[in-house]
Amino acid sequence: MQSWIPVLVYLAIASSVGVVMLGAARVLRVRARHVPPTRAATYECGEEPAGKAWIRFHPRYYLVALVFVLFDVETVFLAPWALATRALGGYAVVEMVVFVAVLLLGWVYAWRKGALRWQ
Amino acid sequence: MSAFGHVLEHYVLVATLIFGIGCVGFLVRRNVLVQLMSIELMLNAVNLALVAYDREQGAGSTGQTFAFFVIAVAAAEVAVGLAIILAFYRLRGTVDGDVADTLRH
Amino acid sequence: MNLLFGLSPFLAVGVGALLLMLAEAFGKPNVAPGVETTDAGAGRAGELALGAAVILVIGAVLSVAVWVAGPESLPELTQVAPHLVIDKFTLFFSFTLCVGGALAALLAGGYLPEHGIDRSEFFPLLLLSTVGAMALSAAGDLLTLFVALETMSLGVYSLIGLRRGSPRAAEAALKYFLLGSFAAAIMLFGLALLYGATGHTDLAGIGAAVRSIGSPGSTVSAGKILISLVLVLVGLAFKVSAVPFHQWTPDAYEGAPTPAATYMAVAVKSAAFAVLLRVLLVGFGDERLASWGAGWPPALAVLAVLSMTVANLVAGRQESVKRMLAYSSIAHAGYALVGVVAAMRSPEAVSAVAFYLLAYTVSTAGAFGALILCGSRGAEAVSYEDLAGVGKRHPAAALAFSLFLFSLAGLPPTAGFFGKLYVFRTAIDSGLYTLAILGLVNSVIGAYYYLRVMVYLYMREPAPGAPRAVTMRSGFVATALVAAAIFVLLLGMAPGFTLDMASGAALTAR
Repeated sequence: MQSWIPVLVYLAIASSVGVVMLGAARVLRVRARHVPPTRAATYECGEEPAGKAWIRFHPRYYLVALVFVLFDVETVFLAPWALATRALGGYAVVEMVVFVAVLLLGWVYAWRKGALRWQ
Repeated sequence: MSAFGHVLEHYVLVATLIFGIGCVGFLVRRNVLVQLMSIELMLNAVNLALVAYDREQGAGSTGQTFAFFVIAVAAAEVAVGLAIILAFYRLRGTVDGDVADTLRH
Repeated sequence: MNLLFGLSPFLAVGVGALLLMLAEAFGKPNVAPGVETTDAGAGRAGELALGAAVILVIGAVLSVAVWVAGPESLPELTQVAPHLVIDKFTLFFSFTLCVGGALAALLAGGYLPEHGIDRSEFFPLLLLSTVGAMALSAAGDLLTLFVALETMSLGVYSLIGLRRGSPRAAEAALKYFLLGSFAAAIMLFGLALLYGATGHTDLAGIGAAVRSIGSPGSTVSAGKILISLVLVLVGLAFKVSAVPFHQWTPDAYEGAPTPAATYMAVAVKSAAFAVLLRVLLVGFGDERLASWGAGWPPALAVLAVLSMTVANLVAGRQESVKRMLAYSSIAHAGYALVGVVAAMRSPEAVSAVAFYLLAYTVSTAGAFGALILCGSRGAEAVSYEDLAGVGKRHPAAALAFSLFLFSLAGLPPTAGFFGKLYVFRTAIDSGLYTLAILGLVNSVIGAYYYLRVMVYLYMREPAPGAPRAVTMRSGFVATALVAAAIFVLLLGMAPGFTLDMASGAALTAR
């Protein structure tokens, strides 16, 4: 049971930080009679935001993002391979070349099918 | 069993809990996007368990390799899944799974 | 060199899939003059279907070639083990999968243009999914198992949703995708537990670790093994669509383009059965787990009985022939599961299941193909009424349909008869009398709804004023039907040769 005491202390500190900060803000805040319109703006000194943040993105963002994610995740195999190549020898290099070649084929396919076109 | 043994149980417990949360999320929620996220949660819970078991085994890194493959497969799964959900949303205007009921006896 | 030869079925389909991808992306679109298109594959379903079918037939021929040469005489093949286990079991299944895939590709070559589904992606996806299915039948390692299963499934999810602008297709794809990924995640957790409990990811190592339970010095936890067994069984039962994990099946089949449904019914199911057999016999082949008292046989027996009974009862009440065929595929999963249960005692049961799945593949692909042939653009044959009178107006289509229905019902002299015969005989040899009798009773019940189709084909006339089904004309569909019919008759009249091949497959599974 003793080993859990640090966890409890940690939880207590973590939650009190939040409570203290919110409470301090409430106590210390300056109450203005009239809130100037600039104060309520998203960016007090900066570009006026145009439109809402909750807009529907065009599907082409989605398509490009998907293609990006797919190829990005494949690097998950490159990192450990780079660390182990020296131990694995020349055959591993050939294997990785084949792997990247297949990936490249996928990219060529995506390109030819117009997934990367940005009209 | 290595000295990691005692800690291992904690990792597996956390993995099981996250997996359970994903499971419940999939079964309870009707928003298909949330259901997809729940599935991803389950896969990541498995990754945690795999890496923990790998640490316990010591020699080799089979579990870590497995986790890498799970990550890659999960990304492919999300790509296909989002495409299907998008097609569904375009045709039905909602991501509520309960709307998917035109295919009945 | 020997290594390349041993892997040639896989390489042929894998490299073929990549080449077909390039061919699709770099070809010249075949569209009416004046029509702008950015899709290089537009209007080229025919040539791509031919390409896909040729590649898959090459894969099937190479599977037979390696089978004849004998994988055991190719010692280099141990280099890829246990990730890919190339034995006769694998080769028999890869033959079945290539045949099923080729038939689906041919059907798509006729179906997609006829119904205005201009999606040439179908064919590369089909091939890539088949590579996954073949790798699944060869998987001797949990890692390959998972990656192959997902490769196969991701292709199928996309195939179902290919029809643009169809809410039903999107819905079917969505349902299958969500449930399929959920089942795969559950199975994956089982695989991770299995790795944690045994320290192995290869099935042979897992099998040895499971056998060591109870012996002094063993640290393998029996509880974890049992939990992982349950989780893996749930995942695979979903893929073979056994009751009660079948709810997605009729919806997915109905919403999918018929060739995609064909592919799901034949290839996904066969590959899932292959990996089910290998996981159970190699990974959980311990006497204590593979016994009637405890372990997987009683659980699978329950699944088998439920699948046969529930599917047969519901199939009879369907108004859509496509849904009826979906329930029929669930019932057939039940019959094949009887063989899997029998495999705990007799190695012949493995070959019986392998033979059964080949017979089921050609019969089901043929039945779906005949259904495709009975409809045409804008008027796909769906319900029983759509088939009324086809026997008089289009005797060839009706004859082909009847042959495949005979085979599905298990009547001689067709492939389905011998498939059922071998499965039930091995069940009786293993002392599973109740299961065998329940299977027989169910076959009789099942014959009812298959024969009902024939009643409509030959004895009913369409109601006056009702739209008449016009059969489509397509060399692709006709070729697929002829090929499937030859297989059905060959396996039905001279099953000896194929059965010898299947029994060669059995020896190496254990």
